[in-house]
Amino acid sequence: MERNRVPVVVLVGQPNCGKSTLFNSIAGPKAETSNFPGTSIKHTHSRVNIEGRLLDVIDLPGTYSLCPSDPAERVALSHLFGEKPDVVVNVVDASILSRGLELATELNELGYPMVVALNMVDVAERKGIILDAPGLAARLGVPVVPTVAFHGRGVKELLDEVFRVLDRVQKPRPVAWSDDVEAKIGEVTALLPSEFPLVSNARFTAVKLLEAESMPCGEMLSEVDPGLKAGLDRVRKELEELRGAPVYEVIAAERHHLAMKIAEESSRLLHGKQTSWDTRLDSVLMHPVAGYLILAGVFFAFFLVIFKIGGPLESLLLGPFVRLKDVLLARWGPSLGFYLAEGLLQGIGGGVGIVLPYFVPLLFLMSALEDLGYLARAGFLLDAFLHRIGLHGKSVSPFILGFGCNVPAIVATRTLESRRDRVLTALLIPFIPCSARTTIILALVAFYLGPFWAFGFYVGNIFLIAFLGWLISLFLREPSPGLILEIPSLKPPSLKHVAQRTWLQLLAFIRFAWPLLIGGSFVLSLLSYFRADALINDILAPLVAKGLGLPHELGITLVFGFLRKELSLIMMLQALNVDYRSLLTVISREQIIVFTVFVSFFIPCLSTCAILWREIGKRWALVSVGLSVGVAIALSWLVRLIV
Amino acid sequence: MPEGSMTLIEAPPNSPLRIVGVEGGEAVRRRLFCLGFHKDDVVRVESRAPFRGPLLLWNATSGCRTALGRGVAAKVLVQTVDGEE
Repeated sequence: MERNRVPVVVLVGQPNCGKSTLFNSIAGPKAETSNFPGTSIKHTHSRVNIEGRLLDVIDLPGTYSLCPSDPAERVALSHLFGEKPDVVVNVVDASILSRGLELATELNELGYPMVVALNMVDVAERKGIILDAPGLAARLGVPVVPTVAFHGRGVKELLDEVFRVLDRVQKPRPVAWSDDVEAKIGEVTALLPSEFPLVSNARFTAVKLLEAESMPCGEMLSEVDPGLKAGLDRVRKELEELRGAPVYEVIAAERHHLAMKIAEESSRLLHGKQTSWDTRLDSVLMHPVAGYLILAGVFFAFFLVIFKIGGPLESLLLGPFVRLKDVLLARWGPSLGFYLAEGLLQGIGGGVGIVLPYFVPLLFLMSALEDLGYLARAGFLLDAFLHRIGLHGKSVSPFILGFGCNVPAIVATRTLESRRDRVLTALLIPFIPCSARTTIILALVAFYLGPFWAFGFYVGNIFLIAFLGWLISLFLREPSPGLILEIPSLKPPSLKHVAQRTWLQLLAFIRFAWPLLIGGSFVLSLLSYFRADALINDILAPLVAKGLGLPHELGITLVFGFLRKELSLIMMLQALNVDYRSLLTVISREQIIVFTVFVSFFIPCLSTCAILWREIGKRWALVSVGLSVGVAIALSWLVRLIV
Repeated sequence: MPEGSMTLIEAPPNSPLRIVGVEGGEAVRRRLFCLGFHKDDVVRVESRAPFRGPLLLWNATSGCRTALGRGVAAKVLVQTVDGEE
């Protein structure tokens, strides 16, 4: 290793193993998130100084095995294979040791220097599992450190071990499988030409080649090296005849048996252990009746808390901006300087006063529910309903995230295995009222028409999503593969972890959205100073005034609603030239509903369009835009007829 | 289907079952293997969500809990096990 380079430590582990909690207790508050090059999948990383030595610590997305089955796993693994970290820290959930060891033995095959963090030993103890860490280390051939990341226990010992491994640069040796399978792997290793691009080592490459029968690289191989392909097919056929199962199953079974054997030898189960609090709680949470009542209660409380915190905070934060604007107007008059200052104030005020009060509590609570393990339980309970609209329970998390912001929600669809499910979920997410649209619904519908109208708006919105899901799935003929969802053990959420994740998400949002918000307000101020907004209003008049029966001046707000939905409200007030409280003097209650319905659905905002384009392709992004415009026009007309 | 076996959907609740086979396409089978469902594992159907919802399974061999949609559960073949898990 070069002297001046900071060594890279990568945390790898199965989902829900406490990996991110461990990362947080190592990295502290300085962590940053970045996208993997060319993707929107995020990883968190941090440079830490431990007793004078620097380390770059990277937290990769959770992965069950080194054979990826969803796009998020695929990106995580190509990073692992491509970047060759100096040390891999494999975080293993001690309470489900044998399954965790399947990944550990696979990482062992990969052969990078490695340390195992045997995490959540407290949960294991509660389940009556007594662990023998030194024994496990001897059997795996790598250091094993018991940790309880939640309480920061064992973290120092883990880092000491990481430095020890860094100094020694000792690579693990894979633990051997059955002789007959090893012999076949040996045959493939011998077949590999000397210039073949190995992933880490020859044995690992050979195993991956054998496993990856139906993957695209198999076909490529036949063009590049027909000899190797023929040899590989022969070995594969022999192995399948030998074991009577497809090769991927033979290898999965070998790993499974090895992991089971190591787990059994390194742990003991105490019998007669009383059922612990989490099992009892779980039987209530997932109860066929109580479960749904609790779920409804959780959602209700969720939104209640957000609005109870958001409302007062909003008026508290917005007040100074309004007062400052009045002072400026009195002092400068309607000059260009005033318009510029007004644009800036509206932009910053919109960001600080309208978005943050609702967005921050939503992110925080969402993160807490995820930490607790409740989102998976909600997925279990809601699966049957989502089935009716052609989806399954794994879409619950992206949907709930969508209430915060559609952009990360669409990114989160990557945890769905099939492309069909991803496309359908991503097409429905833009119809979920994100925090920006919720702000509009609250500010306009709840404030002027009462909370029951806002609630009705929400309920109607959910029915709309169900209807659209049913409609779209009529066109997506390919059946959904169905739900396979791990239900992790319940964990008390860590305040530190939740706060940190909220902060990171907020930071990303501010960096992305605020420049747009301020820029948009500036442009609108300038447009109104130069009276150019009239032209845009005239162009949109047939739709806005004739079609929807709204004031002519609101045409311009639709343009900016496309940039960021939360701009719509500020833009509306600015376009009508009223302050918030005197809105009813210029438009009627009916017009408020029509405006809210139209603005909520008429087009996914710019960033949602961009993320749809990147995640599910141009064609589907255009479908989404067309769908939104169609739904918005149809619904607004319908509302206009009814109200 | 091996003799005396049934799918998880037909299996009695809360009694130990041994997995004797996993049917279906490669993608579903690989995913099940990843989540700790293998041949010879002992599992138990803990509950079924109403409205034809998913099954909640406790895998005694790997010690983890998983929800399987009915479509997936229909692909897992099991036999009842006598005695303790």
